[in-house]
Amino acid sequence: MKKKLIAAMLSCAVVLGITGFTVSAEEKTFVYGTTGYSEEMGDAGLNPHDNYSGWSALRYGVGETLFKYNDNMEVEPWLATEYEFVDDNTVKITLREGVQFSSGRTMDAQAVKECLEDLIAVHDRAPSDLKIESIEAEGLTLTIHTAEPCPAIINYLGDPYGAIIDMEYGIQGEGGSANVAGTGPYVATEVTPTQITLVKNENYWGGEVKVDNVIVKSFSDAGSLCASLQTGDIQGTYGLQYDNYPLFENNPDYTINSMPTSRCFFGQFNMDSEIMQDINVRKAIEMGIDKESFCTVLANGRCVPAVGVFPGSFSYGNDAVTAPSYDPEGAKALLEEAGWTDTDGDGYVDKDGQKLTIRWLTYPTRLEQPLLATYAQDTLKQIGIEVDINNTSDHRTYAADGAFDLYVSSTTTAPTGDPEYFFTSTVVGAKNYGNYQNDEVTALVEELHQTFDKEKRGELAIELQQKILDDCSFFFVAHLNMGIVTKSNVSGMAAHPCDYYEITADLDIQ
Amino acid sequence: MGKYIVKRLFQLIPILIGITFLSFAMMRLAGGDAVTYMYENAGVAVSQEIIDQAKAEYGLDQPFLVQYVKWFAGMVTGDMGTSYVSHRDVYETFISKLPATILLTVTSVLLTVLIAVPLGILSAIKQNKWTDYLIRFLSFIGNSMPNFFAALVLIYFLSIKMNLLPVITNDNVAQSLVLPTLTLAISMAAKYTRQVRAAVLEELGKEYVTGARARGIKGRVIIWKSVMKASMLTIITLLALSIGSLLGGTTIVETIFMWDGVGKMAVDAITMRDYPIIQAYVAWMAVIYVLVNLVTDLIYHYLDPRVRLGGEGT
Amino acid sequence: MIEEKQITVRKQKIRRNHMKAKLIFFVVLTMLLILTALFARAVCPYDPYEQNLLIAQKPPCPEHLFGTDRYGRDMLSRVLVGSTTSIFSTLLLVAIITILGTGIGIACAWKGGIIDTVLMRISDLFLAFPGLVFALAVAGVLGGGVHNAIIALAVIGWPKFARLARGLTLTQKNAPYMMAAKLSGSSTPKLLLKHVLPNIAGPVLVTSVLDIGTMMMELAGLSFLGLGVKPPMAEWGSMINEGRNMLQTAPWMVLAPGAAIFVTVMIFNLLGDTLRDYMDPKQRNK
Repeated sequence: MKKKLIAAMLSCAVVLGITGFTVSAEEKTFVYGTTGYSEEMGDAGLNPHDNYSGWSALRYGVGETLFKYNDNMEVEPWLATEYEFVDDNTVKITLREGVQFSSGRTMDAQAVKECLEDLIAVHDRAPSDLKIESIEAEGLTLTIHTAEPCPAIINYLGDPYGAIIDMEYGIQGEGGSANVAGTGPYVATEVTPTQITLVKNENYWGGEVKVDNVIVKSFSDAGSLCASLQTGDIQGTYGLQYDNYPLFENNPDYTINSMPTSRCFFGQFNMDSEIMQDINVRKAIEMGIDKESFCTVLANGRCVPAVGVFPGSFSYGNDAVTAPSYDPEGAKALLEEAGWTDTDGDGYVDKDGQKLTIRWLTYPTRLEQPLLATYAQDTLKQIGIEVDINNTSDHRTYAADGAFDLYVSSTTTAPTGDPEYFFTSTVVGAKNYGNYQNDEVTALVEELHQTFDKEKRGELAIELQQKILDDCSFFFVAHLNMGIVTKSNVSGMAAHPCDYYEITADLDIQ
Repeated sequence: MGKYIVKRLFQLIPILIGITFLSFAMMRLAGGDAVTYMYENAGVAVSQEIIDQAKAEYGLDQPFLVQYVKWFAGMVTGDMGTSYVSHRDVYETFISKLPATILLTVTSVLLTVLIAVPLGILSAIKQNKWTDYLIRFLSFIGNSMPNFFAALVLIYFLSIKMNLLPVITNDNVAQSLVLPTLTLAISMAAKYTRQVRAAVLEELGKEYVTGARARGIKGRVIIWKSVMKASMLTIITLLALSIGSLLGGTTIVETIFMWDGVGKMAVDAITMRDYPIIQAYVAWMAVIYVLVNLVTDLIYHYLDPRVRLGGEGT
Repeated sequence: MIEEKQITVRKQKIRRNHMKAKLIFFVVLTMLLILTALFARAVCPYDPYEQNLLIAQKPPCPEHLFGTDRYGRDMLSRVLVGSTTSIFSTLLLVAIITILGTGIGIACAWKGGIIDTVLMRISDLFLAFPGLVFALAVAGVLGGGVHNAIIALAVIGWPKFARLARGLTLTQKNAPYMMAAKLSGSSTPKLLLKHVLPNIAGPVLVTSVLDIGTMMMELAGLSFLGLGVKPPMAEWGSMINEGRNMLQTAPWMVLAPGAAIFVTVMIFNLLGDTLRDYMDPKQRNK
């Protein structure tokens, strides 16, 4: 009897499930799968003032910033219409008229002031980037006073943490479930650490929003992301793995949109490690790795070989600098010059009875990184270097403890379209895990920090890159192509070099 | 019976203390520097003072036993701290994900029963006929296949090649349930078909069956009336045991199919070293397992007078 | 009547001979597996670790029977070399839990008293955890690596053997012949080695062989979740994990190691079953 009952209930569930699948034909619904939204990445939730959650606010069309970046990563007005440096420490920003938060409040200078004040009060990175001392608000004019000259402030305001939200509405919910009232084309109705449900903003300042509902789903597994796109469970993806691109390339049912970004896979050598102190060893490692093959074969053409910090689309990018190129024979010669030879015939070079083994630290969330590590293990073996891979989610602890010889990570080197960030954070800042010290470089970074002139900043960026490349303290492997793959009836979704604006008012489904 | 239940409940106490203590101790040993890690996770560099302060706040500066007692009390009252990664309440997180795992467990057990019982009986009745051989062969295959491999093979054929089912969980729960349930049921059914067969065979070999046959009672009647009844015991025990192993065994399947249950939560927590979550998971799973076993015991006790009279062998 | 009995006896004999042949067959198969695992490096056609990006992701062909992986490494060679890790770590694991569990079981039964109570309560404790849950947690705490995966599974594996050995030893301990042996003045080690161990070895061995398949799958499961071997080491579970995202474009990367686990577990299971039937004919039909 019971069994029958259960069977009946189950079949009911099945029927309900199938009927529940049909959506009314008039509303347009877009389901978007991404590997870029998770608590592990620190961007779950929509509160821009919390860790990296601003990325999600910006990516999924809820929040907008005062300035945005175009495809050359140059700053363009967005919620602001223009800006002017009154003096070194003061910038005056004019806001767009007729913008409304989804809470109904009109966006004026006062609202922006409240938002930015909360930002610098609670966010970890923003205060040191923006250096805001005080803000004045009057109508649509916002005047920001900085504690010291901050030439990059306009760029920094375009960072996702600068998404403008209504502080009167406040932050609803916590952490990965935080919802906010932004100005973007979409309004979140439900936010969880794994899914965001969005409806169109009827009062969007930028015109009619074409799609009624958007569901953003987090995927931790690239395989299921791919399969879901194929079965049609989702209509668009971010973070599809390279291995799966062949399934969608030259396929009329899908559109691939990709764009090189400033996300760079790079290694930093540990200058405190004895074997790494020899520049010849560092240089040999660089020369032993074939970036080209890595990008074309292992990354299936979804990466572009890197020379320096920035991709080729930047005026101070790849072509402006030089680095050692792939040359295994040259690498062997360098090692020999440094006293490393294979005396015991085990295939690995040694010195004073010590085999040349490097500890390669990396982490798995970026799928390319373990691939690179495994690849390097074999290709460096060809020149006689043994690679001991430590691929762990706990990488920051190891990095901070200096328990590595080469730490391979990835970061968007120019998240704000300005070169300064990488140098202040990674070369001389807190993320300089390799403890690289060069007084000249430190001085140049300081100079960059003080310089207002754009052209001069670019020149300094080139000079700095060349310095660290000549020192072989950093090693840049590849820049990532950001890829969005959608069903071909989806339009208005474009990849951007800055990795932010994914769902916009342009999104449409035919 | 009542007395027996009380006795069993008392026996439970040291076990419960033991498993919770073990889970707690293990995580404390590993997560000694949990606070530092928590800050690292958030990507903030902090001074030693802040770390010490946070340690005091989380009660991590207190003696080990005090910490344990507090945690145990929290486990009972539903306060198990917050996750290092999401900063959300551990207890709430766990409770919110538990239904998904229970649903998957229940459907898998049901499907297992639906496969294993009829096949087991059929196999026993047709002993050494080709039906028997076929069933045994299939159960052997199911038994030798790791469930993660079975899952991938199922995905490959059912979802990718034939495009019948979604690979991962979507809003359509009924549809999403099919593959994970099938994966879990295949390996369990393979195991239990053999055991049901054995149990039925044993009953069939007993004298009362021969006697009944001699009295001219039809084979089918004997099977349904007597043998089934007697085999129920074995089957119920198996069921309960499988629920226990399923609660743990779902981890891999949940991860593959993105089923948002406690198993996936645990695997994610392990990769992120989110100790409060792992701790809660291990402790609660053990408690559930112990309770399920207790219930099995009680049912067993109730159903089988021999056990009731023959002392507490269990 | 007498004739009938003779026929049954002969029948049994025939069946037993048949059993023996079957057992020998599976023992030989198992030996073959172990030999392959032992000499994997020598028999594999290519260097299992040598990459060649030019031939990456090649489907199976005459040169590469199982195809190649994303680094252009020969899958057949990797599956062969993977057998070393997969099979030997499983055997090591089973050996550890068998010896440890049996030792504890015998000690408990023999000594009785407080030792028995304490150790049995501890084993209760471990049995109270759902197996994989605890193994996952242990592996998570210890971090990746084969050793840690083995430790994790050993921690939850031994109580089963302790229980079994304890029960068997207790029966032996109270058997009349044991009394006689005791009375004739045999020392404890002698009693244990000469009388107890040989008498309980059969069932323990059968259980242990039957456990190999399960343990192999659990070990592979941990590897699959990334809690087992480290790359580039070839191990079947982690190879399946590496290939699972390419199930569509390069299914052989999953199917080859998967089939390897499947066949190996099957052979060990068949060996265990046959061994059990051989040692205890009454159980044959189960």
